[in-house]
Amino acid sequence: MYDAFLVLFAIENMAFLFIGTALGIVVGAIPGLTATMLIALTLPLTFHMNPVSAVTLLIGEYVGGISGGMIMAILLRMPGTPASIVTTFDGHPMAQKGFAERALALGIMASVVGGIISWGFLAGMSPALARFALKFGPWEYFTLVLMALVMLAVLSQGSMVKGLLGAALGMAFALPGIDNSIGQARLTFGYDSMLAGFGLLPVLIGAFAISQILRDSATPQTLDKMDLPQRHLPIHRSDVRFAPALLRGSVIGTWIGLLPGIGGNIAALVSYSTAKQISKEPKKFGTGHEPGVIAAESANNASIGGALIPLITMGIPGSVTEAILIGALTIHNLQPGPLLFQNAPEIAYGIIAAYLVANVLMLMLMWGLVRYIAQIVRLPRSGLMAAILVFCVTGSYAVNSSFTDVWVMISFGVIGLGLEYCRVPLGPFVIGFVLSPIAEEQLRASLMMSDGNVLEILARPYALLFLALAVATVAWPCIADRMAKHRAYSSKETS
Amino acid sequence: MDERTRRTIADIALAALTLCGAGLLLYGAMSLPPPRFEPLGSAALPRILASLLILFALIISATALFRHRQDTSIADATIPRGARADPRKGVLVLAALIAYVFALDVLRIPFTIVTPFFVTATGLAIGTRSWRNLVAFAILGLLLALAISTVLERFLYVRIG
Repeated sequence: MYDAFLVLFAIENMAFLFIGTALGIVVGAIPGLTATMLIALTLPLTFHMNPVSAVTLLIGEYVGGISGGMIMAILLRMPGTPASIVTTFDGHPMAQKGFAERALALGIMASVVGGIISWGFLAGMSPALARFALKFGPWEYFTLVLMALVMLAVLSQGSMVKGLLGAALGMAFALPGIDNSIGQARLTFGYDSMLAGFGLLPVLIGAFAISQILRDSATPQTLDKMDLPQRHLPIHRSDVRFAPALLRGSVIGTWIGLLPGIGGNIAALVSYSTAKQISKEPKKFGTGHEPGVIAAESANNASIGGALIPLITMGIPGSVTEAILIGALTIHNLQPGPLLFQNAPEIAYGIIAAYLVANVLMLMLMWGLVRYIAQIVRLPRSGLMAAILVFCVTGSYAVNSSFTDVWVMISFGVIGLGLEYCRVPLGPFVIGFVLSPIAEEQLRASLMMSDGNVLEILARPYALLFLALAVATVAWPCIADRMAKHRAYSSKETS
Repeated sequence: MDERTRRTIADIALAALTLCGAGLLLYGAMSLPPPRFEPLGSAALPRILASLLILFALIISATALFRHRQDTSIADATIPRGARADPRKGVLVLAALIAYVFALDVLRIPFTIVTPFFVTATGLAIGTRSWRNLVAFAILGLLLALAISTVLERFLYVRIG
């Protein structure tokens, strides 16, 4: 870990971390633009960078992007990122009462504390968890990937069937190309350009950036009058009283971040609800109550650290952003998972170190520049979108110097837009696309090892556990529904 | 057309397209060789996924039809994000994007020439149409094209267009 910090503090890596964090804050502050989109767009640039610099840039963007979302959530009640939705509940009423600076100060403080506490979990748990995951064989990996995919699909917003459909469609789009096991073309339908399959980058940029711009360009955006923060951001000694709330929000955020598919917005919501339930003044929540801002911001930032744990220890992405980070590592021939700590410790520990330093940089940047960052929202949206489209085209082209990738990107932009219109969540779609090759490879290896005997899984307790969790995740909504109906019927009978 | 009908049509269309995709997977899997060196083979995953897609498509279409007959509350439900939007703007941006890539790929027009036109067209399609904006977007496009082509050619050794 010490070596990782030494590598990170090299001028080049620190410069990329600084740029990434600053870019993340700016993009996160602009409603409609997300950290995911920024990371997808900068991914082509990392292709030409050394892996440590690439990872520091992306981690900086991730931390900055989630934190930057709070600025407009507080000042305009317009969350820059979905993770900041809950911050609007108390942050904006505080701003309306003339306490915008105080809300921003508490939000920034809570974000940093959340980040640092979740870093503690990340640094403490990851090496041990990776050593444990080394015991996993193909059956365990296959069922783990299956569990992550099913959880992500089921826990996505909206219909469970549509979440599962999204995951299956994503997996199906990953099939065309050369089948590495037998070295033969599969589902290419005679087209040579399909032999390499659909590239990860064009798919990611298309599904997220292009579809979002096409959707947002059709949606008018009106901005309320915004009072920019005027004075210094006030923090008092008495704010130490918020320490238990900060710790609670951070722990909730970290553990929710660990679960695939849940994300920072749900972490913030659970933390906020918990804070409200145990508060002596629950009625004050939603009216500009300081603990509300702390609960939301500590949890949404802590969820990043939590989500990075399964990513670097097992190669399992908890959200689309982590799926893109996996893409960044695979571009550099690095396979995230337990072997990352053995084969590329500078990357595994580099991610952990970069996460901590990115939080500190975020504190410095937000504390000093929040007043100026807030003015970014006044930039003309139309010019910004046109510029992003140019970046999308050049980014997709630059990886292979091929316009086929650009056409693939446009096609996936339209597919993403269509899926969103039909309320099929894009998260499971993209993660299905990323995880499909891993799932197939592990399943084939498992069956080869067990001579085609599927019942071999019964002799593998961890694989059985993961499979049981996947089945329970699918079955639980139906069971909960029946239980609720039964309870309602029973209460009707008694009354 | 009310929201309920629109949602039903969208779900039916989604199910139909999913069935077409499943058909394509099954058709493609037919030409793959049977397993030789390992038990699963190359065609297994396409077949499994095709079966799942067919199952999900049937559930979605059945649910949509059932809901259309039963539920009247959707008509008053929350209007989705894009409902108040002007879809023509989205179509214009998509058309501009396709024309831009066509100009670069097929017509081989230099990047620095076609990009200002694209930024101007897209900016005006999304934002307010005025002479001032036209000039501003053209300048933005030119600066962007020069900056990106410099970075691509000098540092990444990539030539576009």
